[in-house]
Amino acid sequence: MSQLITVKATDGTYFDFIDEVIGSGAMKDVYFSPDHKYVVGFFRNNQDGRSIDRLMNIVGIYRDKIFKQAGGDYFKDYFCWPEKLVEWNGKIGVVCPAYNKKFFFESGMFKGKEKEGKWFASAKLRNKFLPASEKGTWLNYLQICIRIARAVRRLHAAGLAHSDLSYKNVLVDPQTGSACIIDCDGLVVPGKYPPDVAGSPDFIAPEVMQTKTLKVGDPNKALPSIYTDRHALAVLIYMYLLYRHPLRGGKVFNTDPAKDEELAMGKFALFIEHPTDFSNRPNYKQISESEMPQSDIDKRPYTLVGPYLKALFDRAFIEGLHNPEKRPSAAEWEDALVKTADLVVQCNNSKCDSHWFVFNNNEKCQCPFCGAKFKEKVPIFNFYYSKSKGTFRPENYSLVIHDNGPLFTWHVNRYVTPNEKINAKDKVPVGDFHCQRGNWYFVNRSLESLWDFSNSEKKHIKPGEQVELKQGQKLLLTTEEGGRLAIVQFSEN
Amino acid sequence: MRRLPVYILIDTSGSMKGEPIEAVKVCLSDMFSTLKNDPYSLETVWVSVITFNKEAQVLFPLTELDKIVVPKISVPDDGPTHIGRALELLCNQYDAEVRNTNVEQKGDWRPLLFILTDGKPSDILHYNNMVEEVKLRKFGNIFACAAGMKAKKEPLLQLTSNVLESASIDAGTFKQFFQYVSVTITEGGKSVQMTPDIDNPPEEIEIQLDF
Repeated sequence: MSQLITVKATDGTYFDFIDEVIGSGAMKDVYFSPDHKYVVGFFRNNQDGRSIDRLMNIVGIYRDKIFKQAGGDYFKDYFCWPEKLVEWNGKIGVVCPAYNKKFFFESGMFKGKEKEGKWFASAKLRNKFLPASEKGTWLNYLQICIRIARAVRRLHAAGLAHSDLSYKNVLVDPQTGSACIIDCDGLVVPGKYPPDVAGSPDFIAPEVMQTKTLKVGDPNKALPSIYTDRHALAVLIYMYLLYRHPLRGGKVFNTDPAKDEELAMGKFALFIEHPTDFSNRPNYKQISESEMPQSDIDKRPYTLVGPYLKALFDRAFIEGLHNPEKRPSAAEWEDALVKTADLVVQCNNSKCDSHWFVFNNNEKCQCPFCGAKFKEKVPIFNFYYSKSKGTFRPENYSLVIHDNGPLFTWHVNRYVTPNEKINAKDKVPVGDFHCQRGNWYFVNRSLESLWDFSNSEKKHIKPGEQVELKQGQKLLLTTEEGGRLAIVQFSEN
Repeated sequence: MRRLPVYILIDTSGSMKGEPIEAVKVCLSDMFSTLKNDPYSLETVWVSVITFNKEAQVLFPLTELDKIVVPKISVPDDGPTHIGRALELLCNQYDAEVRNTNVEQKGDWRPLLFILTDGKPSDILHYNNMVEEVKLRKFGNIFACAAGMKAKKEPLLQLTSNVLESASIDAGTFKQFFQYVSVTITEGGKSVQMTPDIDNPPEEIEIQLDF
């Protein structure tokens, strides 16, 4: 029988664990608490004063900055954050919540293994090894990316950088669209604690790669920071949505593979889909069948992610690749991802394994993943915001409408955002859309001041009433501050 | 996607007969099942196993990890340990199988080489020549294990400074060896430590190819 051991944590509380190693990582041996709700990982190496000081802050003030603020509980599912620091036999241990059950494979050849992100971001692993039941839909990956961007945004807002974002340090569950950031004990506070690691292959920012061989302390050495997190975040999002690496193309930079890698990810890093410099486009002759069709940038160009994300990828991989200040922030990614979710439609091909794609409003609208033509004519709400009373400007924001689909407060009012700060009342749809015999209707459930401005005489549509949607119709969704005007457009396919 | 070629050379001379070779087989298949559960390895690793006694044989050529089925390994009753011959065969296989990077195409990662022996090269002259041949090829890392009382560390040191020495030829030694192999192979996906190896002189001079 394994013994139960009780240790005193630095916060004065006690922690029990079972004296049996359940796993060993690169630095730590891990043990379960008796109820399996927590794990404690003991560092095999001695931690110096500075490391202990940093860990104390991670379980203390940094943790409070994220979890003890308004909306703090919301983030408990987004991070596996260290909660206590303990010492046992001279070794320092970090107590973390155990990973949620959904982050372990339930069946198949990988049963019991953690769902580290790599499984789901690699074309070859998806095509050859992942069971279909584990893959999830493209919409699930959009949700995963929203969660990762949101978690990173929260971290950065607290002045912290993760410093080693990679698909190894983010567990994902495509079936539920969940993601959880793990290995938070390497957190970097810019200027206070220097990072232990440069990052992981595929995610190291070009400036860090380029100055990797400089000594620690050299002022020209680029260190992991919020800016390098932004690069890693952009790579993660690109890989989850397109299943290929944005910088791994066909260009040979050096005949030594290790040097070639260093230059391709560092000094000469070049976006494979650069609009004018074609030199790093994939060399299809060199790509194995198991990486197709995901690696085909002609069949699946990055523009398939829709206009908002396309613009951010341009900033991340073209303007900002060697210019860290120009990289989009995590908040911008979150916003663009959330808006993109309003543009997705369901593929008409029931066998399509992506199931969803970003609608593009032209007559040839088709699923970029399976090629099926999108047949339905659907209404689109194009949103306008009011700068001054009575004048509205286009907001570059649209909602593609689904039969039985909901309308939410965050569509109606631009001051409402669907994130951790949203209140329970705003999570309830304010109305819904229905298609009957080819005609589309909006049923108003709770909008008090919805007005149809289409005709010379404006019409008040009260809660419980419905309105038929017509091309060019102008609906003022609410007269409240921040209220949007929606102009109805029918798709051209 | 670049491949990571991995060559494993296993001693099957007479002294390995019985328990030792059985233990090697178990460790080898354990290692493959560990690697087959690792997403980084599944994506990039290709392995070839070469066995050697008097003769050297390709047990299986460079094969994608998920397609590997370990065939039966037979061991003669006695006979010499021709490691030199094994290295010669290795070089031939390397030349035929490893894709080099040239200005037009990206090749493989530098291959990894692991050697396990319980003796010393009986073909020492040939061995010495072949060590030079191996050095002409670009291995990323070479690791050797000298197991048992009769194993000699010195010849292996000509090939690499990474030599594990163990007094016993038993499951424990082999397990340690193959665990090292799988840790080394899976290293690729791990976080890169901050402090660079500043004490080592650069391996070679960097030549920038600008096109």
